[in-house]
Amino acid sequence: MGLPEDLAAVVGSDHVLTDGLERFLYGKDAGVFRGTATVVVMPATTGEVAEIVRIAERHEVPIVARGAGTGLAGGAVPLEAGVVVSTTRMNTIFSVDAANRSAWVGPGVINLDLSRHTAPLGLHFAPDPSSQQACTIGGNVANNSGGPHCLADGSTTDHILGMEVVLAGGTVITVGGDAPDVPGVDLRTILVGSEGTLGIVTKVLVRLTPNPPDVRTLLCVFDSVRAAAATVSGVIGAGIVPAALEMMDQRMTVLIENWLHAGFPVDAAAILLAEVTGETPSVTAEAEVVERIAWECGATAVSTAADDAERALLWKARKSAFGAVAQTAPNYYLHDTVVPRTRLVETLEEVYRIGERHGLVMMNVFHAGDGNLHPLMTFDASEPGTLDRVHAASAELVALSVDNGGALTGEHGVGVEKRDLMPLMFSDVDLDAQARVKESFDPGGIFNPDKLLPRGSRCYDFGRPIPEGTWI
Amino acid sequence: MRVRGLEDFPPADAPVRDGLPSADHHLAPDTAEEMAEVMAAASDAAAVVVPWGGGVHQGLGHRLYPDVIVSTRRLDRIIVWEPEDLTVVVESGVLVDELEAELSTRTQTAAFPETTPGATVGGVISAGVSGYRRPRYGPTRDRILQATVATGDGRLVTAGGRVVKNVSGYDIQRSVFGAHGALGVITSVCLKLWPRAAASATVAVDDPVAAWAGLHRPLAVLQTPTGSAAYVEGPAAQVDQDAARLGGDRRDGLHWPDPPRGEITAAVTVAPAMTAEAVGRITAIGPFVAQHGVGRIDVAGDRSSGWVEVRGWAESVGGRLTITSAPADFYDSFDPWGTAPPAVAVQARLVAGFDPLRTINRGRLPGGL
Repeated sequence: MGLPEDLAAVVGSDHVLTDGLERFLYGKDAGVFRGTATVVVMPATTGEVAEIVRIAERHEVPIVARGAGTGLAGGAVPLEAGVVVSTTRMNTIFSVDAANRSAWVGPGVINLDLSRHTAPLGLHFAPDPSSQQACTIGGNVANNSGGPHCLADGSTTDHILGMEVVLAGGTVITVGGDAPDVPGVDLRTILVGSEGTLGIVTKVLVRLTPNPPDVRTLLCVFDSVRAAAATVSGVIGAGIVPAALEMMDQRMTVLIENWLHAGFPVDAAAILLAEVTGETPSVTAEAEVVERIAWECGATAVSTAADDAERALLWKARKSAFGAVAQTAPNYYLHDTVVPRTRLVETLEEVYRIGERHGLVMMNVFHAGDGNLHPLMTFDASEPGTLDRVHAASAELVALSVDNGGALTGEHGVGVEKRDLMPLMFSDVDLDAQARVKESFDPGGIFNPDKLLPRGSRCYDFGRPIPEGTWI
Repeated sequence: MRVRGLEDFPPADAPVRDGLPSADHHLAPDTAEEMAEVMAAASDAAAVVVPWGGGVHQGLGHRLYPDVIVSTRRLDRIIVWEPEDLTVVVESGVLVDELEAELSTRTQTAAFPETTPGATVGGVISAGVSGYRRPRYGPTRDRILQATVATGDGRLVTAGGRVVKNVSGYDIQRSVFGAHGALGVITSVCLKLWPRAAASATVAVDDPVAAWAGLHRPLAVLQTPTGSAAYVEGPAAQVDQDAARLGGDRRDGLHWPDPPRGEITAAVTVAPAMTAEAVGRITAIGPFVAQHGVGRIDVAGDRSSGWVEVRGWAESVGGRLTITSAPADFYDSFDPWGTAPPAVAVQARLVAGFDPLRTINRGRLPGGL
């Protein structure tokens, strides 16, 4: 039988997509890269996923797992003919354990749906990417996703207690659990952030975080980007790690304000959104420090969200930033790099210069508290030569961040976007070690091939013969 | 076994520890590169190497008869500390207490274990040990931003980056936590730091379960045979409110209990909400420290302590009992890890990419890995 028929025998023909348009739609994520799926399959159970893996191996075609397709680095893009496994039907919240502050969920559960589900228990899932209304827990695990509130709470990896995974050969393993300090080599940690290249996660045990009893959200306004960045350094230096510390520049605030009317000052060079959480005495004390430092650094205004509605509007505006860009140009390219917090000012100034050099409009909305930059270039892809300029500017942005002691990506992942830039950060020996991780889980190279690592990473010859007895 | 090529490396004194047979080589390399060269030579000779930090956690895992003991004590530099960025890059042989003392001069902390004098940064990470402040700051693992390791076959591999947020490549840097060197001997790490709060207090409580439930993200709630205490920190007004609400005797500062000591020590780990029940199972054994909200109880006893029964109960509820120190012969009759965790075969394949001959701590891990 053919591949679609074999898959239909497992999940039913309703859950196998072979139509040209559907295959086209599943050929890309929210970024700029495109491939074409040979066939899209939507399993509902772990057993079905295991069977799909065995079928793909039999047909010798690769498997690309996909959550909601909100990724920007091309992680879910099928680069060669193969099976796209959509986890959207695996969206069951199996159990919520309030006493242990954990929940077993399917990979297709939507991030915000989980936090809404656990809200009556006073708990939430801490990672909160801007795409949280659409992105899935499986996708969060694959990319070790972040979000504004990762500043104090940490990225997804800090919130995954265990998982069930289908590996090559259709082998199903379960790692981790509610009890701490599981001995042995921690497979859970290597699987989080592995971008679907090691296996397919079919169940996730997430850590839930208590909702803060009190929250204070401050909007600090500045007449220079430098003053806003100095406030970030000042707050961290003062011994406070706020729940979130988000910055956006004037180009961005104008677009957002024009659309959502959140009360952002359109004449300010930069604004900072700072949030402190906890119990009231702690929140009051920390908010005072943030406000004092903002004034000291030259803020022109500081205001506090008066109630939940105002706070919700501020966050809606922040998390809708990328949608607001549609007003100004048909296309945008959103970057994700990291620099040490102490290098924010000089990096940002160079980011704007890169935009000017390439004739591109550069705007910034980002997680300033952890030095996680999101430079955004708007353009019209239909203008000849524009994409070349975008790519040239992109390469300079990434190199700039790495040169300043930073990293290629803070939360979006390497995918195909930054795959060939990995040597900027890692030596041949380092990349060879990474490639060995891939090889140990997926010797046949069936899971999401040609992602995360450049071709040839495994070829490093470190000048020593392979010893006898080596497990090859 | 004498290993050719190791004569040229700086020697170290043999570590003193009951139950560990003396190795043929005791070395203390001066640099990460030398550490890698030691591994290459040992691997070529199919020798077994035990990396040695402070020796504090050498009681974990199956007993070994090493050919080489390699000390990290000369890898003792704080390479770069960026207080404004809340990160520090530190060599693995630095003592945890010395690092914390240095960090506290700028009111920062790496939230390392509070009561392990003599332990090193590399030892704590390799042994997978976390401090009491885990409810607030997470396990030690969460703070590893970058790691450089000398693999079992002599490569010097770096993973991660010196920034607080980074998803560039596989997370090898955090996977070294608890791997007992299976992915390589740690030579240096970059760690995420936390500011120390303005005020802190240790407050006696009668009911640790109620104290845990009643506080928003306390540092710790610990129970010992002599009583329980809640540990809180934050702005002074917050600490005052927490202490007043808890109602018990308040002492300013964080006063941690001594770790339980005895002929045999073990850790019982269960789901956090089962901590109180686990305490009920071990109170007859001896001194203990139970971490409410975490699910870990460290307990000390002797050969007659009924470890088999406690382990049987712990494993029946999804937990385990792990021996943390014992006389050498005890390990012959009692598996220090208990039932091997699932997927040891997958772990073995991963480890083979870093240590194909299992040069480092061969056989120490669960399942004999």
